[in-house]
Amino acid sequence: MIAVSPDPEPAHFSFLTARGLRKSYGRGGYGQSPAVADVDFDIGERAFTTLLGPSGCGKTTILRLIAGFEQPSAGELLLEGVSLAGLPPENRPVNTVFQSYALFPHLSVSENVAFSLRLRQGTGSIDRKVADALAAVHMTEYAERFPHELSGEQQQRVAVARAMIATPRLLLLDEPLSALDRKMRLHLQSELKDLQRRLGIAFVYVTHDQEEAFALSDTVIVMNKGRIVQTGRPEDIYARPVDTFVADFIGGAVLVAAEIKERSGGSLVVATPLATYTAPGLETLSAGTRAALVLRPEAIQPCAAGEAGAFAATVSSTVFHGSGFLVGADVAGITLRYVAESAPEPGSEVWLKILSTKTFVTAVTDGSL
Amino acid sequence: MAASKLVPSLSRASLAIPVAGLIAVGAILPLAVFVVISVFSVDFDAYVLVPDFTSANWREILTHASYWVLIGKSVVNGIVAVLMTGLVGYPVALALSGLPKTMKGIALVVLLTPLYTGEIVRVYAWRLVLGQDGLVNALLMGLHVISEPLRFLLFTEFTTHIALFYDDLPFMVLALWISVERIDPRLIEAARDLGCRPLMAFWRITLPLTGSGLAAGTFIVFALAAGEMLAPSMLGGTSGATPMTMIDSLFGTAFDWPTASALALTLLAVLVVTATALAGLVLVLSGGARYLRWRVA
Repeated sequence: MIAVSPDPEPAHFSFLTARGLRKSYGRGGYGQSPAVADVDFDIGERAFTTLLGPSGCGKTTILRLIAGFEQPSAGELLLEGVSLAGLPPENRPVNTVFQSYALFPHLSVSENVAFSLRLRQGTGSIDRKVADALAAVHMTEYAERFPHELSGEQQQRVAVARAMIATPRLLLLDEPLSALDRKMRLHLQSELKDLQRRLGIAFVYVTHDQEEAFALSDTVIVMNKGRIVQTGRPEDIYARPVDTFVADFIGGAVLVAAEIKERSGGSLVVATPLATYTAPGLETLSAGTRAALVLRPEAIQPCAAGEAGAFAATVSSTVFHGSGFLVGADVAGITLRYVAESAPEPGSEVWLKILSTKTFVTAVTDGSL
Repeated sequence: MAASKLVPSLSRASLAIPVAGLIAVGAILPLAVFVVISVFSVDFDAYVLVPDFTSANWREILTHASYWVLIGKSVVNGIVAVLMTGLVGYPVALALSGLPKTMKGIALVVLLTPLYTGEIVRVYAWRLVLGQDGLVNALLMGLHVISEPLRFLLFTEFTTHIALFYDDLPFMVLALWISVERIDPRLIEAARDLGCRPLMAFWRITLPLTGSGLAAGTFIVFALAAGEMLAPSMLGGTSGATPMTMIDSLFGTAFDWPTASALALTLLAVLVVTATALAGLVLVLSGGARYLRWRVA
């Protein structure tokens, strides 16, 4: 086993730490760029952390590195300051809930859940623990069924019970809800969040669904092309995206090319094809650089014709989404999106204004805009 | 799709009828002929079969230990081959399933190539390898491991088992390989994740999920090894007699077709019962029986 340093570690808030973590597959072919490229992150004890990004961004690879299914090409992972290097999956205080559930098809639900306990001890208190775990995921009456007799949602519940009965310090969840329909997904989201609070352990969750990431997480780590782009609380990532990739991936903002004229206090004065605005923005941006103005639906408001700062736009599309309509309107070659209570006629003219305090000036990622 | 709905008899299963019929005729007809001949007797003066419905041939087989010694050797040959090919076959099948796709095709060709060499060629190759002045003895003596040639290598039961193992290994590997390929690798990862060392993951997950493949391999290898005549008789020396050599000489040289038929039928019954029992035992012991039950259900 691993020798733990006898000296008390200095107080640190990181439970799981990645330093220079890198994973590349093979040589040549499509394996040219690494799946995970020199990544650093800290995951807090008892925190719900989500790795969010498009498919192929390396988030699942990070999960597999933490679980021990893959070995890093460089860098290391530390759990409470102790390196996990060389530790096989069975010796890590970490358990995984797989995207495909990976329930053992030849074992019943209760045998699946009891699997880790049966490896460790006799039959002692196993039955009661299994009953408790099944009750926690509301699967008590399915104990004697086999996995193929369960729906996807029920299989997922069993997978969660099977992983948490092993009392991990850290639970890894790889897109666990992606195969379920929307209603079931929302339902299980709140159950998972609740479970995480009750267990009081760290969850690391992988998803490509930003709504899901926001609903569940204390901390979101946004990834793209094997790198971490931004880390923060969901509301900060939404309000202050570090670049156009994040702004676009999170909430699908409309991005408008902007040139920074000057910095005034905490705000930036930017010239855009629409008008010149004074808006909050990244601290790192300086005058003269090319940037982008992030316009989310709530930053655009319909208004009376001729109001100060208002401009006319042509309605190009309307989409009903329950509480209102998402309207697309064209102006100066840009399609803006805003929310309206009633749907304007496509082709008609509307007057809009921009609430500059609800916008954000961010950096331009290579290739966008 | 539409046709099968309009004409219910044109289901997919009905496509198997011609082949099933052929197998039934090809297997049952000769057996029926054997059954009939086994109650005949031979007029050795006129060299003709006499249909006198006697039980003498069956009594001859059932009461003479020498026939049962031969049948027993055949069963032992089959069981030893199953054990050896099973033990060696699993690591090979697991390794093959881990290969990249392009390598798998090459591996399949390599695995099956020995089948093309022809049995008689392999028999003489074994003689060259295992003989007194053969490769193995020369190598061991060259390395000064032994001072005089090992004599048990050729023309013993050991030789028979080695040859049968080599001949039948590809069939066991194929049966296991196919069933290993069907296991989701995530299941092994999940087992490791939940605390299994690699060997424990094999016992708890891989073995039960490949139990049907192991049973199929057992059935095939037992049939091939227990029914093999050439390798035991040409490599096994004085121990190499099998029921098949006996049947051959009864039919061919002695013109005692009735006794040969009775022996052939007895051997068939013993081998089928043993093979079925072995395959069933394998299914139960591997934990695969349970898996099979729900898959069929």
